[in-house]
Amino acid sequence: MMNDSFVHLISLGTIIVSMLIFGTFLLLSFNIKTWLEDWGHSLTMAVYLEDDISLTNKDHIAAFLKSVPSAKIKRFISKDDAYRDLKIALGPHSDILEGLPNNPLPASFEVILDIHEANIDGFKKFQKKLESYKGIEEVQFSEDWSRRFEGMMNVVRYIGFTIGGCFCLCVLFIITNTIKLTLYSRSKEIEIMKLVGATDYFIRVPILIEGLIQGCLGGLLAILALYCGYLLLVTKKISFLSLAVLEFQFLPYEYWLSIFVISVILGLIGSMIAVGRFVNL
Amino acid sequence: MIQLFHINKNFGGKPAILDLNLKIRAGEFVFVTGPSGAGKTTLLRLIFGSDIPDSGQILINGINLSRINRSKLTFLRRKIGFIFQDFRLLPKKTVFDNVALALEVVGERANNIKKSTRQTLKLVGLAEKEKAFPLQLSGGEQQRVAIARAIVKKPLILLADEPTGNLDPILTQDIMVLFRSIHLKGTTVVIATHNQELMNNTALRKIPLQKGNIIDC
Repeated sequence: MMNDSFVHLISLGTIIVSMLIFGTFLLLSFNIKTWLEDWGHSLTMAVYLEDDISLTNKDHIAAFLKSVPSAKIKRFISKDDAYRDLKIALGPHSDILEGLPNNPLPASFEVILDIHEANIDGFKKFQKKLESYKGIEEVQFSEDWSRRFEGMMNVVRYIGFTIGGCFCLCVLFIITNTIKLTLYSRSKEIEIMKLVGATDYFIRVPILIEGLIQGCLGGLLAILALYCGYLLLVTKKISFLSLAVLEFQFLPYEYWLSIFVISVILGLIGSMIAVGRFVNL
Repeated sequence: MIQLFHINKNFGGKPAILDLNLKIRAGEFVFVTGPSGAGKTTLLRLIFGSDIPDSGQILINGINLSRINRSKLTFLRRKIGFIFQDFRLLPKKTVFDNVALALEVVGERANNIKKSTRQTLKLVGLAEKEKAFPLQLSGGEQQRVAIARAIVKKPLILLADEPTGNLDPILTQDIMVLFRSIHLKGTTVVIATHNQELMNNTALRKIPLQKGNIIDC
Protein backbone atom coordinates (compact mmCIF):
# COMPACT_ATOMS: atom_id res chain seq x y z
CA MET A 1 0.00 0.00 0.00
CA MET A 2 1.27 3.43 -0.91
CA ASN A 3 2.24 5.69 1.95
CA ASP A 4 -0.51 8.25 2.65
CA SER A 5 1.75 11.30 2.85
CA PHE A 6 3.45 10.27 -0.40
CA VAL A 7 0.08 10.03 -2.15
CA HIS A 8 -0.89 13.43 -0.74
CA LEU A 9 2.37 14.89 -2.03
CA ILE A 10 1.63 13.49 -5.50
CA SER A 11 -1.83 15.02 -5.34
CA LEU A 12 -0.47 18.39 -4.21
CA GLY A 13 2.29 18.25 -6.82
CA THR A 14 -0.29 17.59 -9.55
CA ILE A 15 -2.31 20.61 -8.50
CA ILE A 16 0.83 22.79 -8.39
CA VAL A 17 2.02 21.68 -11.84
CA SER A 18 -1.47 22.00 -13.35
CA MET A 19 -2.00 25.48 -11.92
CA LEU A 20 1.53 26.48 -12.89
CA ILE A 21 0.82 25.54 -16.52
CA PHE A 22 -2.48 27.39 -16.32
CA GLY A 23 -0.73 30.40 -14.74
CA THR A 24 1.99 30.39 -17.42
CA PHE A 25 -0.70 30.42 -20.08
CA LEU A 26 -2.42 33.33 -18.30
CA LEU A 27 0.89 35.18 -17.96
CA LEU A 28 1.66 34.81 -21.66
CA SER A 29 -1.83 35.70 -22.84
CA PHE A 30 -1.95 38.67 -20.48
CA ASN A 31 1.36 40.01 -21.84
CA ILE A 32 0.39 39.40 -25.46
CA LYS A 33 -2.87 41.23 -24.81
CA THR A 34 -1.02 44.09 -23.12
CA TRP A 35 1.51 44.40 -25.96
CA LEU A 36 -1.25 44.40 -28.56
CA GLU A 37 -3.19 47.00 -26.62
CA ASP A 38 -0.10 49.15 -26.35
CA TRP A 39 0.32 49.05 -30.11
CA GLY A 40 -3.35 49.81 -30.52
CA HIS A 41 -3.02 52.60 -28.01
CA SER A 42 -0.66 54.42 -30.36
CA LEU A 43 -3.27 54.45 -33.14
CA THR A 44 -3.11 57.94 -34.62
CA MET A 45 -5.35 60.17 -36.69
CA ALA A 46 -4.07 63.05 -38.81
CA VAL A 47 -6.40 66.06 -39.15
CA TYR A 48 -5.14 68.16 -42.12
CA LEU A 49 -6.19 71.79 -42.19
CA GLU A 50 -6.83 74.03 -45.20
CA ASP A 51 -4.15 76.65 -45.82
CA ASP A 52 -6.56 79.56 -45.41
CA ILE A 53 -8.24 78.31 -42.23
CA SER A 54 -9.24 81.06 -39.86
CA LEU A 55 -7.87 81.14 -36.33
CA THR A 56 -11.42 80.81 -34.94
CA ASN A 57 -12.10 77.64 -36.96
CA LYS A 58 -8.76 76.20 -35.91
CA ASP A 59 -9.63 76.91 -32.25
CA HIS A 60 -13.07 75.28 -32.72
CA ILE A 61 -11.45 72.13 -34.08
CA ALA A 62 -8.89 72.05 -31.25
CA ALA A 63 -11.70 72.53 -28.68
CA PHE A 64 -13.70 69.69 -30.24
CA LEU A 65 -10.68 67.37 -30.22
CA LYS A 66 -10.06 68.15 -26.56
CA SER A 67 -13.69 67.44 -25.67
CA VAL A 68 -13.58 63.84 -26.93
CA PRO A 69 -12.38 61.45 -24.19
CA SER A 70 -11.04 58.81 -26.62
CA ALA A 71 -8.88 61.36 -28.47
CA LYS A 72 -5.87 63.34 -27.37
CA ILE A 73 -4.00 65.97 -29.35
CA LYS A 74 -0.42 64.82 -29.47
CA ARG A 75 0.78 67.95 -31.19
CA PHE A 76 -0.10 70.67 -33.67
CA ILE A 77 2.11 70.56 -36.77
CA SER A 78 2.23 73.90 -38.57
CA LYS A 79 2.99 74.14 -42.29
CA ASP A 80 6.58 75.10 -41.48
CA ASP A 81 6.96 72.25 -39.00
CA ALA A 82 5.61 69.78 -41.54
CA TYR A 83 8.08 71.10 -44.15
CA ARG A 84 10.99 70.84 -41.70
CA ASP A 85 9.98 67.33 -40.63
CA LEU A 86 9.80 66.19 -44.24
CA LYS A 87 13.17 67.73 -44.97
CA ILE A 88 14.71 65.86 -42.04
CA ALA A 89 13.01 62.66 -43.15
CA LEU A 90 14.33 63.01 -46.69
CA GLY A 91 17.86 63.51 -45.40
CA PRO A 92 20.41 63.72 -48.26
CA HIS A 93 17.55 63.91 -50.80
CA SER A 94 15.99 66.98 -49.20
CA ASP A 95 17.19 69.21 -52.07
CA ILE A 96 14.24 68.01 -54.14
CA LEU A 97 12.04 70.25 -51.97
CA GLU A 98 13.99 73.33 -53.04
CA GLY A 99 12.49 73.17 -56.52
CA LEU A 100 8.98 73.71 -55.19
CA PRO A 101 7.56 77.27 -55.63
CA ASN A 102 5.94 77.19 -52.15
CA ASN A 103 5.34 74.86 -49.19
CA PRO A 104 2.64 72.38 -50.35
CA LEU A 105 2.26 70.64 -46.98
CA PRO A 106 -0.83 71.40 -44.88
CA ALA A 107 -0.85 72.14 -41.19
CA SER A 108 -2.32 69.34 -39.11
CA PHE A 109 -3.28 68.04 -35.71
CA GLU A 110 -1.74 64.70 -34.78
CA VAL A 111 -4.34 62.94 -32.63
CA ILE A 112 -3.83 59.80 -30.55
CA LEU A 113 -6.86 57.51 -30.29
CA ASP A 114 -7.36 55.49 -27.13
CA ILE A 115 -8.82 52.07 -27.99
CA HIS A 116 -9.83 51.55 -24.35
CA GLU A 117 -12.32 54.39 -24.67
CA ALA A 118 -14.04 53.58 -28.00
CA ASN A 119 -14.22 51.03 -30.82
CA ILE A 120 -13.60 51.40 -34.55
CA ASP A 121 -17.19 52.43 -35.30
CA GLY A 122 -16.90 55.12 -32.65
CA PHE A 123 -13.73 56.44 -34.31
CA LYS A 124 -15.43 56.45 -37.74
CA LYS A 125 -18.26 58.59 -36.36
CA PHE A 126 -15.65 60.83 -34.80
CA GLN A 127 -13.87 61.10 -38.20
CA LYS A 128 -17.17 61.98 -39.96
CA LYS A 129 -17.97 64.66 -37.42
CA LEU A 130 -14.49 66.17 -37.77
CA GLU A 131 -14.83 66.29 -41.55
CA SER A 132 -17.97 68.42 -41.16
CA TYR A 133 -15.93 71.21 -39.52
CA LYS A 134 -15.02 74.18 -41.67
CA GLY A 135 -11.33 74.50 -42.56
CA ILE A 136 -10.57 70.78 -42.56
CA GLU A 137 -9.00 69.47 -45.75
CA GLU A 138 -8.85 65.77 -44.87
CA VAL A 139 -8.93 63.40 -41.89
CA GLN A 140 -6.73 60.35 -42.24
CA PHE A 141 -7.32 57.37 -40.02
CA SER A 142 -6.20 53.84 -40.70
CA GLU A 143 -9.50 52.01 -40.51
CA ASP A 144 -8.15 48.81 -42.05
CA TRP A 145 -5.40 48.53 -39.51
CA SER A 146 -7.80 49.34 -36.71
CA ARG A 147 -10.31 46.73 -37.84
CA ARG A 148 -7.52 44.18 -38.20
CA PHE A 149 -6.29 45.09 -34.74
CA GLU A 150 -9.74 44.78 -33.22
CA GLY A 151 -10.20 41.38 -34.95
CA MET A 152 -6.81 40.27 -33.67
CA MET A 153 -7.77 41.27 -30.12
CA ASN A 154 -11.00 39.29 -30.42
CA VAL A 155 -9.08 36.24 -31.69
CA VAL A 156 -6.65 36.53 -28.79
CA ARG A 157 -9.60 36.83 -26.41
CA TYR A 158 -11.46 33.81 -27.88
CA ILE A 159 -8.31 31.68 -27.98
CA GLY A 160 -7.64 32.70 -24.39
CA PHE A 161 -11.14 31.70 -23.27
CA THR A 162 -11.09 28.42 -25.19
CA ILE A 163 -7.63 27.33 -24.09
CA GLY A 164 -8.32 28.57 -20.56
CA GLY A 165 -11.58 26.59 -20.41
CA CYS A 166 -9.92 23.45 -21.78
CA PHE A 167 -7.12 23.90 -19.25
CA CYS A 168 -9.62 24.09 -16.40
CA LEU A 169 -11.35 20.89 -17.58
CA CYS A 170 -8.01 19.07 -17.95
CA VAL A 171 -6.88 20.26 -14.53
CA LEU A 172 -10.20 19.14 -13.03
CA PHE A 173 -9.81 15.72 -14.67
CA ILE A 174 -6.23 15.37 -13.43
CA ILE A 175 -7.04 16.60 -9.93
CA THR A 176 -10.12 14.32 -9.68
CA ASN A 177 -8.07 11.30 -10.66
CA THR A 178 -5.21 12.17 -8.36
CA ILE A 179 -7.60 12.63 -5.44
CA LYS A 180 -9.16 9.27 -6.38
CA LEU A 181 -5.67 7.82 -6.02
CA THR A 182 -5.43 9.18 -2.48
CA LEU A 183 -8.89 7.78 -1.76
CA TYR A 184 -7.96 4.35 -3.08
CA SER A 185 -5.32 4.22 -0.38
CA ARG A 186 -8.08 5.02 2.12
CA SER A 187 -10.87 2.90 0.64
CA LYS A 188 -10.51 0.28 3.38
CA GLU A 189 -10.79 2.98 6.03
CA ILE A 190 -13.88 4.43 4.32
CA GLU A 191 -15.47 0.99 4.04
CA ILE A 192 -14.86 0.27 7.73
CA MET A 193 -16.23 3.66 8.71
CA LYS A 194 -19.40 2.88 6.80
CA LEU A 195 -19.67 -0.54 8.42
CA VAL A 196 -19.51 0.97 11.90
CA GLY A 197 -22.28 3.42 11.03
CA ALA A 198 -20.59 6.56 9.62
CA THR A 199 -22.89 8.78 7.57
CA ASP A 200 -21.91 9.97 4.08
CA TYR A 201 -21.52 13.45 5.56
CA PHE A 202 -19.07 12.17 8.19
CA ILE A 203 -16.93 10.58 5.47
CA ARG A 204 -17.25 13.34 2.89
CA VAL A 205 -16.48 16.41 5.01
CA PRO A 206 -12.85 15.60 5.96
CA ILE A 207 -12.11 14.59 2.36
CA LEU A 208 -13.63 17.81 1.01
CA ILE A 209 -11.63 19.83 3.55
CA GLU A 210 -8.52 17.96 2.41
CA GLY A 211 -9.31 18.85 -1.22
CA LEU A 212 -9.87 22.46 -0.20
CA ILE A 213 -6.54 22.62 1.65
CA GLN A 214 -4.75 20.94 -1.26
CA GLY A 215 -6.35 23.46 -3.63
CA CYS A 216 -5.27 26.39 -1.40
CA LEU A 217 -1.70 25.13 -1.00
CA GLY A 218 -1.44 24.11 -4.65
CA GLY A 219 -2.69 27.52 -5.81
CA LEU A 220 -0.35 29.45 -3.51
CA LEU A 221 2.71 27.37 -4.42
CA ALA A 222 1.87 27.58 -8.14
CA ILE A 223 1.67 31.39 -7.93
CA LEU A 224 4.96 31.45 -6.04
CA ALA A 225 6.61 29.18 -8.64
CA LEU A 226 5.16 31.31 -11.44
CA TYR A 227 6.58 34.46 -9.87
CA CYS A 228 10.00 32.83 -9.47
CA GLY A 229 9.83 31.78 -13.12
CA TYR A 230 8.87 35.33 -14.08
CA LEU A 231 11.85 36.75 -12.17
CA LEU A 232 14.16 34.37 -14.01
CA LEU A 233 12.62 35.33 -17.35
CA VAL A 234 13.18 39.02 -16.74
CA THR A 235 16.90 38.49 -16.25
CA LYS A 236 17.07 36.45 -19.45
CA LYS A 237 14.84 38.45 -21.73
CA ILE A 238 17.54 40.61 -23.29
CA SER A 239 20.03 37.86 -24.03
CA PHE A 240 17.59 35.18 -25.14
CA LEU A 241 14.29 36.59 -26.19
CA SER A 242 15.21 40.08 -27.38
CA LEU A 243 12.10 41.36 -25.69
CA ALA A 244 13.83 44.32 -24.14
CA VAL A 245 11.65 46.73 -26.09
CA LEU A 246 8.55 45.08 -24.71
CA GLU A 247 8.02 45.16 -21.01
CA PHE A 248 7.18 41.67 -19.76
CA GLN A 249 4.88 42.19 -16.78
CA PHE A 250 3.81 39.82 -14.00
CA LEU A 251 0.11 39.15 -13.65
CA PRO A 252 -1.87 41.82 -11.83
CA TYR A 253 -3.44 40.80 -8.53
CA GLU A 254 -6.88 39.96 -10.00
CA TYR A 255 -5.23 37.35 -12.24
CA TRP A 256 -3.22 35.58 -9.57
CA LEU A 257 -6.17 35.83 -7.22
CA SER A 258 -8.24 34.03 -9.86
CA ILE A 259 -5.52 31.33 -10.18
CA PHE A 260 -5.81 30.83 -6.41
CA VAL A 261 -9.62 30.78 -6.43
CA ILE A 262 -9.74 28.41 -9.43
CA SER A 263 -7.24 26.11 -7.70
CA VAL A 264 -9.35 26.05 -4.52
CA ILE A 265 -12.55 25.43 -6.49
CA LEU A 266 -10.92 22.69 -8.57
CA GLY A 267 -9.53 21.03 -5.43
CA LEU A 268 -13.00 21.10 -3.89
CA ILE A 269 -14.88 19.92 -7.01
CA GLY A 270 -12.20 17.29 -7.64
CA SER A 271 -12.68 15.87 -4.14
CA MET A 272 -16.47 16.01 -4.50
CA ILE A 273 -16.37 14.01 -7.74
CA ALA A 274 -13.74 11.60 -6.43
CA VAL A 275 -15.39 10.98 -3.07
CA GLY A 276 -18.78 10.16 -4.63
CA ARG A 277 -17.61 6.78 -5.86
CA PHE A 278 -16.11 5.78 -2.53
CA VAL A 279 -19.01 6.87 -0.38
CA ASN A 280 -21.36 4.71 -2.45
CA LEU A 281 -19.49 1.55 -1.53
CA MET B 1 -36.26 -8.99 17.07
CA ILE B 2 -34.72 -10.40 13.90
CA GLN B 3 -37.06 -12.01 11.36
CA LEU B 4 -36.18 -13.56 8.03
CA PHE B 5 -38.86 -14.68 5.57
CA HIS B 6 -38.08 -16.92 2.60
CA ILE B 7 -34.61 -15.50 2.08
CA ASN B 8 -32.65 -16.51 -1.00
CA LYS B 9 -29.15 -15.36 -1.83
CA ASN B 10 -27.00 -16.56 -4.72
CA PHE B 11 -23.38 -15.84 -5.53
CA GLY B 12 -22.45 -16.47 -9.15
CA GLY B 13 -25.52 -18.64 -9.61
CA LYS B 14 -24.63 -20.78 -6.60
CA PRO B 15 -27.11 -20.57 -3.70
CA ALA B 16 -25.58 -19.39 -0.41
CA ILE B 17 -28.92 -19.08 1.39
CA LEU B 18 -31.93 -21.08 0.25
CA ASP B 19 -35.49 -20.19 1.27
CA LEU B 20 -34.46 -19.47 4.84
CA ASN B 21 -37.02 -18.60 7.51
CA LEU B 22 -35.75 -17.57 10.91
CA LYS B 23 -36.86 -15.69 13.99
CA ILE B 24 -34.51 -14.53 16.75
CA ARG B 25 -36.24 -12.90 19.69
CA ALA B 26 -34.99 -9.68 21.26
CA GLY B 27 -32.44 -10.43 23.98
CA GLU B 28 -31.84 -13.97 22.76
CA PHE B 29 -28.38 -15.56 22.54
CA VAL B 30 -28.01 -17.92 19.58
CA PHE B 31 -25.29 -19.83 17.81
CA VAL B 32 -25.38 -20.21 14.04
CA THR B 33 -23.47 -23.38 13.36
CA GLY B 34 -22.43 -25.43 10.38
CA PRO B 35 -19.43 -26.36 8.26
CA SER B 36 -17.54 -23.92 6.03
CA GLY B 37 -19.72 -22.81 3.13
CA ALA B 38 -22.96 -23.52 5.01
CA GLY B 39 -23.97 -19.83 4.72
CA LYS B 40 -23.18 -18.60 8.26
CA THR B 41 -21.27 -15.48 7.19
CA THR B 42 -23.81 -14.70 4.44
CA LEU B 43 -26.63 -14.94 6.99
CA LEU B 44 -24.88 -12.45 9.30
CA ARG B 45 -24.11 -10.09 6.40
CA LEU B 46 -27.76 -10.20 5.32
CA ILE B 47 -28.91 -9.33 8.85
CA PHE B 48 -26.34 -6.50 8.95
CA GLY B 49 -27.54 -5.18 5.59
CA SER B 50 -24.17 -5.39 3.87
CA ASP B 51 -25.59 -8.02 1.49
CA ILE B 52 -29.00 -7.69 -0.13
CA PRO B 53 -31.13 -10.84 -0.51
CA ASP B 54 -32.20 -11.87 -4.01
CA SER B 55 -35.67 -12.48 -2.63
CA GLY B 56 -37.44 -12.52 0.73
CA GLN B 57 -37.79 -9.99 3.55
CA ILE B 58 -35.62 -9.22 6.57
CA LEU B 59 -37.06 -7.31 9.53
CA ILE B 60 -34.85 -5.89 12.26
CA ASN B 61 -36.90 -4.65 15.22
CA GLY B 62 -39.81 -4.28 12.80
CA ILE B 63 -37.81 -2.35 10.16
CA ASN B 64 -37.86 -3.97 6.73
CA LEU B 65 -34.31 -3.79 5.35
CA SER B 66 -35.50 -3.91 1.74
CA ARG B 67 -37.65 -0.83 2.28
CA ILE B 68 -35.17 1.55 3.88
CA ASN B 69 -32.71 3.85 2.13
CA ARG B 70 -28.94 3.94 2.61
CA SER B 71 -29.11 6.72 5.14
CA LYS B 72 -31.58 4.85 7.37
CA LEU B 73 -29.51 1.68 7.02
CA THR B 74 -26.51 3.65 8.31
CA PHE B 75 -28.47 4.66 11.40
CA LEU B 76 -29.72 1.09 11.87
CA ARG B 77 -26.14 -0.18 11.72
CA ARG B 78 -25.29 2.02 14.66
CA LYS B 79 -27.47 -0.26 16.76
CA ILE B 80 -25.74 -3.38 15.49
CA GLY B 81 -22.23 -4.44 16.44
CA PHE B 82 -20.47 -6.69 13.92
CA ILE B 83 -17.33 -8.67 14.69
CA PHE B 84 -15.78 -9.58 11.36
CA GLN B 85 -13.93 -12.81 10.82
CA ASP B 86 -11.00 -10.84 9.34
CA PHE B 87 -11.26 -8.17 12.08
CA ARG B 88 -11.34 -5.20 9.62
CA LEU B 89 -9.04 -3.07 11.76
CA LEU B 90 -7.37 0.08 10.47
CA PRO B 91 -3.63 -0.64 10.49
CA LYS B 92 -2.60 3.02 10.72
CA LYS B 93 -4.74 3.76 13.73
CA THR B 94 -3.90 2.74 17.29
CA VAL B 95 -5.96 0.20 19.22
CA PHE B 96 -7.62 3.09 21.06
CA ASP B 97 -8.47 4.93 17.81
CA ASN B 98 -9.83 1.77 16.18
CA VAL B 99 -12.25 1.23 19.06
CA ALA B 100 -13.06 4.94 19.45
CA LEU B 101 -13.96 5.14 15.74
CA ALA B 102 -17.28 3.36 16.40
CA LEU B 103 -18.24 6.19 18.77
CA GLU B 104 -16.77 9.02 16.71
CA VAL B 105 -18.90 8.17 13.68
CA VAL B 106 -22.06 8.46 15.74
CA GLY B 107 -21.05 11.90 16.97
CA GLU B 108 -20.40 10.94 20.60
CA ARG B 109 -18.75 13.60 22.75
CA ALA B 110 -14.97 13.43 23.14
CA ASN B 111 -15.13 12.85 26.92
CA ASN B 112 -17.55 9.96 26.55
CA ILE B 113 -15.49 8.48 23.74
CA LYS B 114 -12.38 8.45 25.89
CA LYS B 115 -14.20 7.01 28.92
CA SER B 116 -16.18 4.31 27.09
CA THR B 117 -13.21 3.26 24.92
CA ARG B 118 -10.94 2.82 27.97
CA GLN B 119 -13.63 0.89 29.84
CA THR B 120 -14.20 -1.44 26.89
CA LEU B 121 -10.49 -2.02 26.32
CA LYS B 122 -10.21 -2.91 30.00
CA LEU B 123 -13.13 -5.32 29.60
CA VAL B 124 -11.41 -7.21 26.76
CA GLY B 125 -8.05 -7.15 28.56
CA LEU B 126 -6.27 -4.70 26.26
CA ALA B 127 -6.00 -1.64 28.52
CA GLU B 128 -2.21 -1.80 28.36
CA LYS B 129 -2.14 -1.93 24.56
CA GLU B 130 -4.24 1.09 23.70
CA LYS B 131 -1.34 2.86 22.01
CA ALA B 132 -0.23 -0.14 19.99
CA PHE B 133 -1.04 -0.56 16.31
CA PRO B 134 -2.99 -3.63 15.12
CA LEU B 135 -0.02 -5.13 13.29
CA GLN B 136 1.98 -5.09 16.54
CA LEU B 137 -0.63 -7.39 18.16
CA SER B 138 -1.15 -11.12 18.01
CA GLY B 139 -4.14 -12.58 16.14
CA GLY B 140 -6.02 -13.09 19.39
CA GLU B 141 -5.38 -9.52 20.50
CA GLN B 142 -6.53 -8.16 17.14
CA GLN B 143 -9.71 -10.20 17.52
CA ARG B 144 -10.30 -8.66 20.94
CA VAL B 145 -9.85 -5.16 19.46
CA ALA B 146 -12.52 -6.06 16.88
CA ILE B 147 -14.80 -7.27 19.70
CA ALA B 148 -14.16 -4.08 21.68
CA ARG B 149 -15.06 -1.95 18.64
CA ALA B 150 -18.30 -3.88 18.18
CA ILE B 151 -19.44 -3.64 21.81
CA VAL B 152 -18.20 -0.15 22.74
CA LYS B 153 -21.35 1.49 21.37
CA LYS B 154 -23.54 -0.85 23.46
CA PRO B 155 -25.42 -2.31 20.50
CA LEU B 156 -28.92 -3.77 20.64
CA ILE B 157 -27.75 -6.62 18.43
CA LEU B 158 -24.27 -8.14 18.36
CA LEU B 159 -23.31 -10.24 15.34
CA ALA B 160 -20.06 -12.16 15.60
CA ASP B 161 -18.50 -14.13 12.77
CA GLU B 162 -16.17 -16.78 14.19
CA PRO B 163 -15.18 -14.51 17.09
CA THR B 164 -12.97 -17.04 18.79
CA GLY B 165 -11.29 -18.45 15.70
CA ASN B 166 -7.88 -17.07 16.66
CA LEU B 167 -8.09 -17.47 20.41
CA ASP B 168 -6.65 -20.15 22.66
CA PRO B 169 -9.10 -22.13 24.88
CA ILE B 170 -8.59 -19.92 27.94
CA LEU B 171 -9.15 -16.69 25.99
CA THR B 172 -12.08 -18.31 24.22
CA GLN B 173 -13.74 -18.91 27.55
CA ASP B 174 -12.98 -15.32 28.65
CA ILE B 175 -14.54 -13.95 25.47
CA MET B 176 -17.60 -16.18 25.91
CA VAL B 177 -17.99 -14.84 29.45
CA LEU B 178 -17.79 -11.35 27.95
CA PHE B 179 -20.51 -12.15 25.40
CA ARG B 180 -22.69 -13.60 28.17
CA SER B 181 -22.30 -10.43 30.23
CA ILE B 182 -23.24 -8.27 27.21
CA HIS B 183 -26.22 -10.56 26.64
CA LEU B 184 -27.30 -10.21 30.27
CA LYS B 185 -27.55 -6.45 29.72
CA GLY B 186 -30.23 -7.10 27.10
CA THR B 187 -28.26 -7.33 23.85
CA THR B 188 -29.33 -9.88 21.26
CA VAL B 189 -26.22 -11.95 20.47
CA VAL B 190 -25.81 -14.01 17.28
CA ILE B 191 -22.56 -15.94 17.00
CA ALA B 192 -21.61 -17.79 13.85
CA THR B 193 -19.14 -20.55 14.62
CA HIS B 194 -18.10 -24.02 13.69
CA ASN B 195 -16.35 -24.48 17.04
CA GLN B 196 -18.31 -27.22 18.82
CA GLU B 197 -16.45 -26.70 22.11
CA LEU B 198 -17.90 -23.22 22.29
CA MET B 199 -21.41 -24.64 22.42
CA ASN B 200 -20.72 -27.49 24.82
CA ASN B 201 -22.33 -27.33 28.21
CA THR B 202 -24.77 -24.66 27.16
CA ALA B 203 -28.50 -24.72 26.71
CA LEU B 204 -28.45 -21.75 24.33
CA ARG B 205 -30.30 -22.09 21.01
CA LYS B 206 -28.31 -23.41 18.09
CA ILE B 207 -29.26 -22.77 14.49
CA PRO B 208 -27.56 -25.45 12.40
CA LEU B 209 -27.07 -24.43 8.77
CA GLN B 210 -26.28 -26.64 5.84
CA LYS B 211 -26.28 -25.60 2.19
CA GLY B 212 -27.94 -22.34 3.06
CA ASN B 213 -30.83 -23.65 5.10
CA ILE B 214 -31.60 -24.77 8.64
CA ILE B 215 -31.39 -28.48 9.20
CA ASP B 216 -33.28 -30.43 11.78
CA CYS B 217 -31.05 -31.81 14.51
